[in-house]
Amino acid sequence: MVDPVLSVRGLKVDFGGEGRSVPVVRGVDFDVYPNELLCIVGESGSGKSVTSLAVTGLLSETARMSGSVRLCGVDVIGAAPETLRQMRGRDVGFIFQDPTTTLNPVLTVGRQITEGEVAHGRLKKADAHARAAELLREVDVADPEGRAGQYPHQFSGGMRQRAVIAMAMAGQPKLIIADEPTTALDVTVQAQVLAVLARRQAELGSAVILITHDLGVVAEVADRVAVMYGGRIVETAPVAEIFANPRHPYTRALLRSQPRIDTSDARLDPIPGQPPTPGALTKGCSFQPRCAVGRDRPLCMTEEPGLRPVGDGRLSACHYPDELGPDTVPAAPRAVAEAASATAEPLLIVDGLKVHFPVKTGVLRRTTGWVKAVDGVSLSVNPGETVSLVGESGCGKTTTGRAIMGLIKATGGSIRFAGRSVRDLDGAAMRKARREMQYVFQDPYASLNPVLSVEDIVAEPLKIHGIYDEMGGARRIAELFDMVGLSRSMLGRFPSEFSGGQKQRIGIARALALQPKLLILDEPVAALDVSIQAQVINLLQDLQAELGLAYLFIAHNLSVVRHVSDRVAVMYLGRIVEESSRDGLYGLPVHPYTQSLLSAAPVPDPEVRDTRRRIVLEGEIPNPASPPTGCTFHPRCFRATARCASESPSFGRYQETATRTSCHHAGPLAEAHRNVFAAGSLEAAS
Amino acid sequence: MSRLLRKTGSILARLLSRKGSALALLFLSAVTFAAIFANFLPLDPFGQKLVNALKGPSATNWFGTDELGRDILARVVYGARTSLLTAAGAVAIAALAGVPIGLVAGFFGGWRDAALMRLVDVLLALPAILFAMAMIAVLGRSQAAALIAVGITGIPSFARITRAQVLTLRKRDFVTAVEAFGGSATYNMFRTILPNSWSPIFVQVVVLCSVAILLEAALSFLGVGVPPPTPSWGEMLRTGKSYLHEAPYYAVLPGLVLTLTILSFDVLGRALSDILQGRRDVDVVAKAGEASS
Amino acid sequence: MIGFVVRRLLQLVPVLLLASTGIWAMIYAVPGGPIAAIAGDNASPEQIAAATAQFGLDRPVLVQYADWLWNALRGDFGISIRGRAPVLELIGQRLPATLQLAVAATIVSLVIGIPVAIASALRPGSWIDRLLSGWSALALGVPTFWLGILLILLFAVELRWLPSASGYVPFWENPLGALRNLALPALTLGVYVSGILARFLRASLVNELQADYVRTARSKGLPERQIVGVHVLRNALLPFVTIVGLMMANFIGGAVVTEAVFTYPGIGRLLIQAITTRDYPLIQGCIVVILVLYIAINLAVDVLYAYIDPRIDYR
Repeated sequence: MVDPVLSVRGLKVDFGGEGRSVPVVRGVDFDVYPNELLCIVGESGSGKSVTSLAVTGLLSETARMSGSVRLCGVDVIGAAPETLRQMRGRDVGFIFQDPTTTLNPVLTVGRQITEGEVAHGRLKKADAHARAAELLREVDVADPEGRAGQYPHQFSGGMRQRAVIAMAMAGQPKLIIADEPTTALDVTVQAQVLAVLARRQAELGSAVILITHDLGVVAEVADRVAVMYGGRIVETAPVAEIFANPRHPYTRALLRSQPRIDTSDARLDPIPGQPPTPGALTKGCSFQPRCAVGRDRPLCMTEEPGLRPVGDGRLSACHYPDELGPDTVPAAPRAVAEAASATAEPLLIVDGLKVHFPVKTGVLRRTTGWVKAVDGVSLSVNPGETVSLVGESGCGKTTTGRAIMGLIKATGGSIRFAGRSVRDLDGAAMRKARREMQYVFQDPYASLNPVLSVEDIVAEPLKIHGIYDEMGGARRIAELFDMVGLSRSMLGRFPSEFSGGQKQRIGIARALALQPKLLILDEPVAALDVSIQAQVINLLQDLQAELGLAYLFIAHNLSVVRHVSDRVAVMYLGRIVEESSRDGLYGLPVHPYTQSLLSAAPVPDPEVRDTRRRIVLEGEIPNPASPPTGCTFHPRCFRATARCASESPSFGRYQETATRTSCHHAGPLAEAHRNVFAAGSLEAAS
Repeated sequence: MSRLLRKTGSILARLLSRKGSALALLFLSAVTFAAIFANFLPLDPFGQKLVNALKGPSATNWFGTDELGRDILARVVYGARTSLLTAAGAVAIAALAGVPIGLVAGFFGGWRDAALMRLVDVLLALPAILFAMAMIAVLGRSQAAALIAVGITGIPSFARITRAQVLTLRKRDFVTAVEAFGGSATYNMFRTILPNSWSPIFVQVVVLCSVAILLEAALSFLGVGVPPPTPSWGEMLRTGKSYLHEAPYYAVLPGLVLTLTILSFDVLGRALSDILQGRRDVDVVAKAGEASS
Repeated sequence: MIGFVVRRLLQLVPVLLLASTGIWAMIYAVPGGPIAAIAGDNASPEQIAAATAQFGLDRPVLVQYADWLWNALRGDFGISIRGRAPVLELIGQRLPATLQLAVAATIVSLVIGIPVAIASALRPGSWIDRLLSGWSALALGVPTFWLGILLILLFAVELRWLPSASGYVPFWENPLGALRNLALPALTLGVYVSGILARFLRASLVNELQADYVRTARSKGLPERQIVGVHVLRNALLPFVTIVGLMMANFIGGAVVTEAVFTYPGIGRLLIQAITTRDYPLIQGCIVVILVLYIAINLAVDVLYAYIDPRIDYR
């Protein structure tokens, strides 16, 4: 048997000063072996990041650690700072989450990649530049010689993260710890970065600990999985088994609360309640208050279960691991709202919408160019229907939503709402027109005024329109609270007293106050934890059914979009490249970008990961100020021909289907690889 | 209203729970009290007794006497009145002019921003002390002139701080949200942005008090501030400096009170900044612009 | 790069124009009009008429302004009323003294400020941090004129080591004499400004020390000395350059008080004399020269900043 690279036993980490110490990690045991990729999964506050920092002694001085951590045979707790420093970079490398802040902005990337080796005396300063270029080449950075001399701000996000990988791998460490390495990246770039990480791991034979909240990523890359909750590991198992047959109620609930890109399940199973905060854990099992198996059971309420073997190589910290049945496949598909769409007049019709921002340069600040953030977007939303606008960051989806709402001035095209043009209205007319169209914001922490009570926040739209009393005053506000599932006893509180999910409910209640017909939902669940996400998605679906609302749903998460939508439009660089019914788009995408996007999205099913056909796009989204000629997607497209570089495709119907697309070479992938989510052969498309 | 009271109470409690800011608050309360009720104290700042000139501290004259035999302690107490009054007036002028400028410039942007901020740049184009002196050269020497001059030099700091705050808030979703459900620009500016900007403005009020007191004293020290015989700390230092050999206490003791007052406002400003904004360091750049070296 | 400088210069044009108009208009805002100021309060009608003609005040206002601006652009601010010498000549005599003091004070402030900031930023909240932060507060809170008086009391009156009034001795001609004369004013100014610098640098150091890239640097196994010395200091010193420049600019005109305490023959004292004697051409000249120097230093700092920060694209 090989010795583990890292062996952790009974690790505990407390934060805070005398008297008020908060236990963040409460007894964690695990091993990582060479060549193995261990994923630690958990929601925010579960202690997963702290665990990873603790094993190399990188925690701040306010943290107190106990237990045993053996890294490459050295006991980390109690080791001299100098010993730990020598180990970092040589025995263990780190990849952190946000590539925009992990690199020092005023030093060249090349220097940052190699300075660890130089500091350890393993590389001469004179050779550093050449070595940096070599390392950058190994992570697929084009022009590595030139890039090594550049500063981080000259790198794109994905390239920065690859540089960070190069940096972590520079010393050929035996262990690499990657803390949410792709969370800040777009899905096509995430696919590139994960591929590079996996390849470099294979080349070096390192052990990798990857920390993530994304079960799709876990299914794609993990060998073994450890699930954390409330500062402890609640289950560990090989990746296939944890997905097929979870042995802890939390794991199971987590899997079932996540929308999946490969199915159109009718309803999510959210985990009730809120994740625990480290300072205020319940007695007994910390998951007990939210647990479907153990809630209110005497044993679960009094005794915290230890991590015990529950089969071959599996451990679970549950008193009743055998009471979990095998995970059922999610329920029947959710029906598309076709009846409504067929008959009714569309509520919102957007035609050729353009939002161009001027670029000013030179001494006189003259307009020398335009950023075409939105460049000819056409879409319609029927009453009671959900239309999703999906795309990567910078594609213009949020700008589109804000322009429709009138928050950004459109520079071209028309916007008709309920039969009236609402573009270029101002003052009172605009305010009136907006009454039946409302907006829900992405970040619930930023969208509520911190100095108002939540009652005043929800009442504010009514008061602005002068119809507070007419609409029923305080009674109406209380009703709205009931509607979004908040207790009336919370009315007088202030936003800072609420959790993220609750704040989003308040944002929804506020949007509903004026009895709108259409809600523009701008990434409404992107900032929420997985288990809370499901609660809010279900709430939105219930409200839609109850009030007959139409939704324009703006999102980047393809799984969530599949789950909530009736129709879907995919945006790239300010234009819609493909639009179709939900099943049409996910079942038979015809635009190469849609196909790549869907194939790059991780599927939470380890069964298909080795066989699933994947299109990994090259490069990243170009700068919208200087988009490529012709079809803007052509430099990254696997079907591009000379025509694509010169001639811009028009947006129109694809053959006899309901799909509309803009591509010279539109068409489904070859028969054998059509289903990008299921197993299939791996030959290149087209 | 009750919330405001509660908030004030909790800020006060937190100020008193820190050694530094509690001491500062205590000292400033004592100075303010003495300044307000100076008439009721057994002190006479004007009574001259030339035989008594330049006598050191004693039981009757705790701080000694000046070159005209006047009681220095009495003049320090009445000087506090001059000093605090000038500071309060100056800070009021600065805030009343600076906050709206910053609010409008930051909220509307564009040409309004450019025009207003250029105007502010003009005020910053000279060190504050010079600007104040130039103003006094025009207005003539009087208490009102000192107050106006110091006040005007304080406008840029309020304008900049408010503008910066507005710019950050403007991008926040809760401001956009008000726009989205139909609130007008004026509503947003006064009902959403301003109520969220009080903390930095309030901190700046306290910080600027220390700057204003320093500036007023400096003007008086240079002989262009509040004209005699009105007692003022700067003026006392100016005269005291001529008697360093004979009566060192003359310049030292009023200077000590002046220094403690400035220090107290500074300590208080930083404590408030920590409590209200979670930062210990007030905008030293703004402060540096006010510096009278 | 040239475009950047040109753009910054163009941005200054309205500021300079507004400010100079203000300075020119000063003379008209004086109670009793400029003539009373020039000819004296008890002047006879003949004297007033003579003064009016001599200073060309009988011409249309716009002509006067254009004339003044044109002369000012050529460096001609007229003749000092009291000194009966060209204004620019008087200023030229004082400028070297002011510049020498500014350089000395800057050195003192950096020598004190930087180590204080680094020592306290490395252990935020520790006793040494509290001690040094207290020192910064003290340096900032003690008015320069009082500190100057205390220093004179100690070093001139009691110990008799240094002169209580400082003259201008050019450093290159007599370094020792220059130091003797500069020591107290430079210390007074330097201590005050060291408080500002230390507080600013400490704040940005503490901020930078919490940045993600510091954790990255630690995770590479860099020695702490290198992390602070290279990674953190390089980031923190960038904004610091601006502050130091601002302070230097402040010394040029703003050292009025310190110059007064030590009766140092700088441009600030010239200005006070001009104000107390109501010598308006001299006041205008002093303020314009200080303004131009102040703006020039600020511009130089901006350009330097754009040059040393790789993130700023100065095209």
